[in-house]
Amino acid sequence: MSGVFSEPNNPRAKHLQGSAYLSNRGTDIKFRHGVTEEFMVAYEADNYDEDKNPNGIINFGISENKLCFDLLSKRLTQSDMHHIEPPLLQYPDWRGHMFLREEMARFLTYYCKAPTPLKPENVTLFNGCSSVFSALATVLCDPGEALMIPTPFYGGISNSVYLYGNVQLVFAHLDSKITEANTRPFQLTVEKLKMALQGARSEGVHVKGLILINPQNPLGDIYSQEELLEYLEFAKRHELHVILDELYMLSVFDESATFHSVLSMDRLPDPQRTHVMWGTSKDFGVSGIRFGALYTENRDVSSAVAKLCYLHGLSGIIQYQMAQLLRDHDWINQVYLPTNHSRLKAAHTYITDELKTLGIPFLNRNSGLYIWMDLRRYLRTGTFEEELLLCRRFLDNKVLLSCGKGFQCFEPGWFRLVFTDKIHRLQLGMQRIRQVLQQQAQELHQKLSVPRQLLEQEGQADSTDEAVFVPRQQGPTSGTKTRDLIGLPHQ
Amino acid sequence: MFSIFKQEARGLATSPASSSTQDLGTNGGEGLDSNSSEKTDKEPVNVYGLGDPAAKFSQMSPYLSSRGSIIKCFRDAAEEGYKAYHLDEYDEDKNPKGIINFGTSENKLCFDLLSSRLNQRDMHHIEPPMLQYPNWKGHMWLRDEVAQFLSYYCKAPVPLKPENVVVVNGCASLFSALATVLCDPGEAFLISSPYYGAITQHVYLYGNVRLVYAHLDSRVTGMDSRPFQLTVKKLEIALLGAKSEGINVKGLVLINPQNPLGDIYSQEQLQEYLEFAKRHELHVIVDEVYMLSVFDESAMFQSVLGMDSLPDPQRTHVIWGTSKDFGISGFRFGTLYTENQDVANAVASLGCLHGICGTVQYQMAQLLRDRDWINQVYLSENHARLRAAHAYITEELETLNIPFLRTKAGFFIWIDLRKYLCTDTFEEEFSLWHRFLDHKVLLSCGKAFECKEPGWFRLVFSDKIPRLRLGIQRIREVLEKEPQVAKTACPASPWRRAVS
Repeated sequence: MSGVFSEPNNPRAKHLQGSAYLSNRGTDIKFRHGVTEEFMVAYEADNYDEDKNPNGIINFGISENKLCFDLLSKRLTQSDMHHIEPPLLQYPDWRGHMFLREEMARFLTYYCKAPTPLKPENVTLFNGCSSVFSALATVLCDPGEALMIPTPFYGGISNSVYLYGNVQLVFAHLDSKITEANTRPFQLTVEKLKMALQGARSEGVHVKGLILINPQNPLGDIYSQEELLEYLEFAKRHELHVILDELYMLSVFDESATFHSVLSMDRLPDPQRTHVMWGTSKDFGVSGIRFGALYTENRDVSSAVAKLCYLHGLSGIIQYQMAQLLRDHDWINQVYLPTNHSRLKAAHTYITDELKTLGIPFLNRNSGLYIWMDLRRYLRTGTFEEELLLCRRFLDNKVLLSCGKGFQCFEPGWFRLVFTDKIHRLQLGMQRIRQVLQQQAQELHQKLSVPRQLLEQEGQADSTDEAVFVPRQQGPTSGTKTRDLIGLPHQ
Repeated sequence: MFSIFKQEARGLATSPASSSTQDLGTNGGEGLDSNSSEKTDKEPVNVYGLGDPAAKFSQMSPYLSSRGSIIKCFRDAAEEGYKAYHLDEYDEDKNPKGIINFGTSENKLCFDLLSSRLNQRDMHHIEPPMLQYPNWKGHMWLRDEVAQFLSYYCKAPVPLKPENVVVVNGCASLFSALATVLCDPGEAFLISSPYYGAITQHVYLYGNVRLVYAHLDSRVTGMDSRPFQLTVKKLEIALLGAKSEGINVKGLVLINPQNPLGDIYSQEQLQEYLEFAKRHELHVIVDEVYMLSVFDESAMFQSVLGMDSLPDPQRTHVIWGTSKDFGISGFRFGTLYTENQDVANAVASLGCLHGICGTVQYQMAQLLRDRDWINQVYLSENHARLRAAHAYITEELETLNIPFLRTKAGFFIWIDLRKYLCTDTFEEEFSLWHRFLDHKVLLSCGKAFECKEPGWFRLVFSDKIPRLRLGIQRIREVLEKEPQVAKTACPASPWRRAVS
């Protein structure tokens, strides 16, 4: 399915509520938020708390790993973290203090399994990966130019490239249907990228690069080495930059899955146009710390983004702490990662068991903090209006989910559920989801007078490839491993 | 929309690297060639100017967009010196022949106090919300603290409101965000020169906003009572000049206390500037980042937030941060205060790109709420040390017979080295600057502040006395090698009263 160049918030449209005080672009920025922001505001005003607000909204919408706060807070308050010396309180090299860039190069060399040591001079540090996207978009594209991205994708990237960069996204839409070409749902192929690129060009849109998220958000897919190579070679043929967002690279919680970083490849097709980003927000569950890094061999790119870095600067004290964290391979390998992965796996198993019980199809994957689930049969009609109504209904029933539209998914009805929270919150959230869906199903059944079985999907993947779970073909669940979750210390 | 990138540098633009630009002064309507060596005797030239950062750009990269190439080639006036300094930093023990830094405006005098406070136990606290995504305006408990802090130290007549506060990772980010939401690409802010030069890139790199300069100079004429005095008349001339060239000026930037001059605007002056802005429906961005660095007890600093009523509260936006006043430029913290919710929310929309770590927000809240420590430990000691350093430096300058502007605030002194230039050109100024650097002392030359008169330098004195001593010694060595140029007879000007 070729991507259609579409920008949900047309920057040239005048807003009905223009501000007398802001520029056109200022007004655009201020009003540039969709439903996602509205839901976020509602959540912030009424967020669930066991004691203070038990009727508040359970958050299955924001991709944050809340399972390991105990480990992180303990590590971050250890005495080696409390160190201040003058350079940390003074203006730094805006690319980041060298000691941290060195640490990051070592860290990425090790965890990405780079064939040769990565170089600190190719590392630039920012206050988060949104900032990396903003800076890259600004130096790789001129205003109005575009970056291509397969959908569904983490919707925040739209803002990151647009707010300052005024860069558009061209979508290569993927869909769930299994066909000869599409051996798994939402499979990314070079053919689809090619069609999207052609489509954009035919509309006069100048595409400068391709964004790949691996492991993928919201799908949880992990690209194989062969696939990665194909995508990179496609990009090279068209002289496109490739921006790899590897933010979830350490959140692969199932040993059977293997993640390959682009930095592990022996040889890149186009090293001067391959730019990798990673940060601690997801893999270390510290999205509030604001720390991200760009790795690229291209000196033009790194020196251009370096000029913007001071607007995305990190406190010297945090830089020091991040260096301490990243260099502690013992703690990471022996304490943090195994515990994090087992907790992720347990939470994932719990949720997937519940989904199976409810008969909800979902993509069964081994990475990330979320599950991409299929609620299409709960929509009156296969439209985004209906999807939004369902999303609102969840919110009214105090559970926040992210609807597919927020990820530019071409098919209405898909939702992302973030499962990285304590078991009792998962339980409560699932309970509320169940209630909504039961109600929804009842209403549909009544309104449409359609036998229930006809509401079910067709054309699902065979469950044996573990791609999409189809409830009626699956055997009984193999015992929820709630033991692991019950054993979590109270946070 | 972004056509400014494709335009040739217009002859009207001030191209900082070039000496042969022709600026349109409106005094008498004649543009004067800035190479004229008898300029000091003529009418002041270049009463206003237009910044055109893209003019310096020359080299396209095959990998970057046009805008990317411009950004990559963007030469911050301070960059060369900064780079050289970082490769060869002076250290008493490890590198005694290294460069003494009189160029970067950082307060290095109170590291002991700050590190002691930041190491106290109340700073080492982590809760889940600090490690999770925050509201991009900043955590509410920090915005509360900022509102209270500013209410107290700015002497606000009524308590300031947390909802009018937005916190980000530094004041540069605030300039960038404000430029982006108040201006469309190619539009401009008005600012008096000399000014803190980095503002050029703060508003340009992402915002593509230019600066219109209302040039001030050292001559005290007419209504002026001191050198480099900012008057509404000068602002009007610059504004009119910009308009005549089709530049849309959306706002006025004021820095108070002023950098590099060290001036403090009086209440009357502030009122005049704000009323001027109101007449022309200009936003006013008031950078008060040195408000607690007024070390002379006789000086009276008036914050815009301390005024009983603002002429145009919906267009008045105040910036403050901890980099200068608390000597922690590496911390990265800045705050915006504005009653205009459109502006606050638009800036907050960019907040995700300028976020501050949650634990840093927490430490900032702890610092700002500690009124006792601030008043009884920090401020008094900081001011005493600044006064001592300032006294030392000014004495040395007097001994060297170097004129300078008297100042009561900030970390720097605006010094007059014009008599050491053979010709009144920026090439000469740059050449002198380079000789200082070669002699291992880094100063900032006036060109970096878009000063229209060559020969002025900014000297930062907020460092330990031994370093000041060494730096001054090196300055003396350079100047002793320079012949003082016998300029054509210049009658003792009244401004010398304000200058020592």
